[in-house]
Amino acid sequence: MSCPNTPELIADYCDPMVSAESLQRHRLHLEGCPSCQQELGRLRPVPARLLRWQNLAMPDWDRSSMIRPVPNRKSIPSRVRTIPLLARWLPLAASVVLTIAVLTQTRLEVNEQGWAVSFGASSKLDVQQLDAYLAAYSRAQEADTREWVQSALKTHGETTADSVYQWMMYMEQQRELDVKRMEAGFEQLLDRDFQTVDSVRQLASYVMYQVAP
Amino acid sequence: MEQTDNQLIDAALAGSVSAWEMLVRRHEHRVYNLGLRLLHNPDDALDLVQDVFLGVYRNLYRFRGESQFSTWLFRIVHNKAVDLIRRRQTGPELENWFEEDIPEPVHDLPGPLEACLESEMNEKISQFLLRLPPAQRLIVELKVFQAMTFEEIAPLQDIPVNTAKTRFYTALKNLKIMMEAQS
Ligand SMILES: [Zn+2]
Repeated sequence: MSCPNTPELIADYCDPMVSAESLQRHRLHLEGCPSCQQELGRLRPVPARLLRWQNLAMPDWDRSSMIRPVPNRKSIPSRVRTIPLLARWLPLAASVVLTIAVLTQTRLEVNEQGWAVSFGASSKLDVQQLDAYLAAYSRAQEADTREWVQSALKTHGETTADSVYQWMMYMEQQRELDVKRMEAGFEQLLDRDFQTVDSVRQLASYVMYQVAP
Repeated sequence: MEQTDNQLIDAALAGSVSAWEMLVRRHEHRVYNLGLRLLHNPDDALDLVQDVFLGVYRNLYRFRGESQFSTWLFRIVHNKAVDLIRRRQTGPELENWFEEDIPEPVHDLPGPLEACLESEMNEKISQFLLRLPPAQRLIVELKVFQAMTFEEIAPLQDIPVNTAKTRFYTALKNLKIMMEAQS
């Protein structure tokens, strides 16, 4: 009663893109197969009945909501600026201090009055000088970052989700790079005496302490 | 001159909100009506449209124009529709996903399509479709309403072309039984 050709034959008859060869093959088969003839006659009207569907108009909706994921656009830059910049500056500042320490054989002397850094055997850098240096370094970093942000905004146009994402990626790469630099600094220091290593650790924690608030 | 889909996509990728909205307006009604048929509920259909175009926007940079935008779009539509149907279904119906027979006995079906008012037509058609197992419902949608070929449908459902044809045939048989029960 049932014929194995029926499913393909019915499906192909409902396919406007079916090849002429397939259609010809099905026609030949149909001539000798009452079962397929009956199924075709029964099922062929079904798709046409479904196509009586009346298309409805789309209700209005916010079509560009996915382009603006955060409603307050101004809040994006300020939030992004504060958090990664601090994260970026901390290791950078520490790594610069470390580099100076390594190159100049810095020594840190701590006593009740405070502490002082000595370069080699002779020269001395006091707390105020170091503060001034760190402040200058911080300003240079900020200018550097501002410049980068401006060029990023120019390149990416408006603060779209894409540009913020690329911005975050850049910050993250910078941060990783800085951490690597700092690690390299520590490794170099391991070849030196423990007094210097201890000094630099104290210096690094000083930098963290100064910047954190 | 009217811009092509590819021109609108390029402009949208370059940051043009109006090009993006024009692209969405051009295709959204097809997705919305598909949602109405498959999900049988205007709120779910709107959810589908939003899901689909969020997915389109996120992946727009991957669209390279080697296929028709609408073909690429319906790959996303198919996946999102499957997700939504799955989420809206609970309990034992989930097991009937690929079942080849109608999962429940035919009763309280809408009247014959020939006799119904225009305004009732959509309700009846989506009632019929709703009673099909989801895999059959989807194949009828893609074949009949979206006029896709079986060669296009088969990879969407991750099945061979012949299986797609058999599944479509089974769906037509089931629909026919439902339609006959009413006339
Ligand atoms: Zn036959």
